[in-house]
Amino acid sequence: MLDKSELARYERQILIPGWSKSGQEKLKKAKVLVAGVGGLGSAILTYLAVAGVGRIKIIDGDKVELSNLNRQVLHSDKDIGRDKVDSAKEKLEVLNPQINVEAIKETIDENNVFDILGDYLIVDAMDNLPARFLLNKVAVKKKLPLFHGAVYGFEGRATTVVPGKTACLRCLYQGVIPGKIPVVGVTPAIIGCIQASEVLKYILGIGELLTDRLLIYDGLSMKFSEVRLKRDPNCCECR
Amino acid sequence: MMNVTIKISSLFRKFTDGQEFVKVTGNNTVECLHELEARFPKIKRWLYDKQGNLRPQIWFFVNGQKISADDLTKPLNDGDELFFVLAISGG
Ligand SMILES: [Zn+2]
Repeated sequence: MLDKSELARYERQILIPGWSKSGQEKLKKAKVLVAGVGGLGSAILTYLAVAGVGRIKIIDGDKVELSNLNRQVLHSDKDIGRDKVDSAKEKLEVLNPQINVEAIKETIDENNVFDILGDYLIVDAMDNLPARFLLNKVAVKKKLPLFHGAVYGFEGRATTVVPGKTACLRCLYQGVIPGKIPVVGVTPAIIGCIQASEVLKYILGIGELLTDRLLIYDGLSMKFSEVRLKRDPNCCECR
Repeated sequence: MMNVTIKISSLFRKFTDGQEFVKVTGNNTVECLHELEARFPKIKRWLYDKQGNLRPQIWFFVNGQKISADDLTKPLNDGDELFFVLAISGG
């Protein structure tokens, strides 16, 4: 049940067709894991927190650095040197004291990923492909949805994976070209908000998901386009 | 030979003098790319690795549908649109 202050806090979104109080209760009961508290993670977490996702788990093994601050808006100068998950948890609990945030200061690997992910919905806000593949592996094995986003400069991508039904990340990626990734904060903010929108819609059961669709955002020409994906019958993960 | 329009994604437009659409002719994706490279040779470094193989980090789409490596030599139709993007992974 939602208490009086929750009804007031979420009043405007409860007005959205298909949302209602019961939708808000679904959000309150929902468990969402956000892997990576960088540029994408900052946007995703901010909006999932204020929307009232009841249990949010965040995982990141890094500490805040000055060069993060052009895009990772959950952190600020006074957080430099702190664990990113602690810095993020503190801000999120200020944004919405009525949710529960669990911070895990670890780098995910083969050994810990299954336990950490549990039965949480998985949001892929990582900055490297091997870690994304680990999340994808667990998503496919446990049949948990995975909300993917990636950025480069002014360009961004997003897709939603529903294992057993849609293409997975391994159907799509055969590596990326190495090197330091240029990025401006607005790009992960836009893509992160798209991922967060997908999470909310999934929990509420409303709208159409970005399943088997890759959204391509080009900030320089300011165009969104979309292409269709399909499962790779030879995929090493989901076939 | 089929008339094919190649849509150039933003990261590659610096190699095509800023053009978003380039019209080429070819019977399949590989042939269309050869014409694109002949006109804009600097794009080659991004499309192929040092051994001269098409990079698996480039995703190809025909009429908005992702195609696999096996489809690169499949026949295209007149009026098809070919589009390719670089796989990215920043967060
Ligand atoms: Zn797959």
